[in-house]
Amino acid sequence: MRRTLGQSLSLYGGLLLIALVIGLPFWWVLTGSIKLPKEIIQRVPTMVPQSFTLQHFEKLLQASDFPVYLLNSMVVALFSTAFTVLLALPAAYAFFRMEFPGRNALYKTILLAYAFPGVVVLIPLYGLFAKVGLIDSPVALVIVNVAFALPFSIWMMRSFLSSVPREIEEAAVVDGAPTLTILVRILMPLIAPGIASVAIFAFISSWTEYLFASVLIVSDARRTIPVGFAGIIGQYQIDWGLLLAGATAAIIPVVILFALVGRWFVSGLTDGAVK
Amino acid sequence: MKNTTLAIAFVSPALIFLLAVLGWPLVQAAILSFQDVGVIGSEGHFIGLGNYATILGGAGFWQALGRSIVWVLSNAVVQTILALATALVLNQKFPGVRIARTWIILTWIVPTVVVVIIWRWLLSSSGGIINPLLIQAGAIDRPVGFFATRESAMATLIMINSWRWFPFTTLMMLAGLTRIPGDLYEAARVDGAGTFQRFKRITWPLLQPTLMVLGVVGTLLSFNVFDVIWLLTAGGPAGATQTLPVLIYETAFKGYRLSQAATISVLTTILLMGFAFFATRAMAAAEADR
Repeated sequence: MRRTLGQSLSLYGGLLLIALVIGLPFWWVLTGSIKLPKEIIQRVPTMVPQSFTLQHFEKLLQASDFPVYLLNSMVVALFSTAFTVLLALPAAYAFFRMEFPGRNALYKTILLAYAFPGVVVLIPLYGLFAKVGLIDSPVALVIVNVAFALPFSIWMMRSFLSSVPREIEEAAVVDGAPTLTILVRILMPLIAPGIASVAIFAFISSWTEYLFASVLIVSDARRTIPVGFAGIIGQYQIDWGLLLAGATAAIIPVVILFALVGRWFVSGLTDGAVK
Repeated sequence: MKNTTLAIAFVSPALIFLLAVLGWPLVQAAILSFQDVGVIGSEGHFIGLGNYATILGGAGFWQALGRSIVWVLSNAVVQTILALATALVLNQKFPGVRIARTWIILTWIVPTVVVVIIWRWLLSSSGGIINPLLIQAGAIDRPVGFFATRESAMATLIMINSWRWFPFTTLMMLAGLTRIPGDLYEAARVDGAGTFQRFKRITWPLLQPTLMVLGVVGTLLSFNVFDVIWLLTAGGPAGATQTLPVLIYETAFKGYRLSQAATISVLTTILLMGFAFFATRAMAAAEADR
């Protein structure tokens, strides 16, 4: 079907507008991070950088705690991701492929947990972690991150599991394969995109988490990126060059991850969505 | 596949974990709300409904609730408009449509603190781009402080939060749009219906179930937003952006009134669960009418 001139104009005009609204703020941050300090605070900002320097990145890596924050964030995010996948996968399989009493009620309750306000359990969790000596420990962050990523992760597996024809499992059962073998050998490769999208969701949730990390972590050396940065923002004299370089560096890992498996993540987010 | 034992073995790790990390603390919060604990770690005594009388009798809770309602409704309106417009554009066929549908979510996958840095810088009066742009457009005479007055602080936060969340809403709407059968549009075209007519008679009514689900989920998700508000205004100026999550955090960790914070937490939970319950019932009823 052919578009009229008006339709084409509104389509490409709309696309341009969307690209500007989403892309321009990022463009200013990325280009800002390589401008000289005096260009950064120039009264009329420059669209295209007139100067080039890596001094902000040098400062970020050598004179700030950023490398420590980065490492902490990485460790917490990777462990959170691994445990979320380990817990979500069998649960999702049971919810969407098996039958057991109370399945629906249980599934709805778990879904409700996704919309649960974190700040509500922050206070009692702080007390519980204090009792078992987990304050200021990355373990506490992993526990919290997994708990908040888990409900949505289970839900996301739904569309991927339902795309696998049941005949495949039934054939395996007829062949006499034990259920676990079916899961690991046959199903896993088929739902790999689903596992990837759960992993990326868990990673992003953890990478972004601020509230719990700000309360449960006390010492500077154990802070994650969000809390570490918040400390820099709060200082009296803001070093914009440093912050923009930091923001750029914090965006890169998720962008790389997204470039690799983003397509699956988006389909996991939307396919089973509206039901 | 029927194998109850195995199913329970598969579900229980996740379930036990969630009960321990989310369920049990909720019970603890309820217990705490009947005591008089101040600083974290100190002992408390049972004081019955004392905290509830204090909180419900004071103005702070009700004002924060009011701000939360303004916050949720404004975010819903702004995000629905932005997301619907974006979804209608991305629902068409054009080269690179896949890339556009994937990378639209960029604002949602970067850490909140990065969103905060981006907007603090863009809105800053030295080096920020927004002020010069507005001056050039003739909207303002000299640089303004976007977080300086009560109204502009709230409005600015709503715009920033919507910028972060509307791509997520867009993807959900796209999922709803792709489920509308294409033949409906073909038939309408044959009957001579224009673009606006097709939107009004087909897209809008058939998108209602999606919008309703988004309304419920979106309400809960925006209600819970804490970090964007805390990092940009910390609830200020003069409490103008202190929503319920911010109030809970401040009461517990700045005011050192732990039991009162737990009380507000319990009240908040009751409110949200009540909303979720009635909203899903209303949705089921609407579904049955259709």
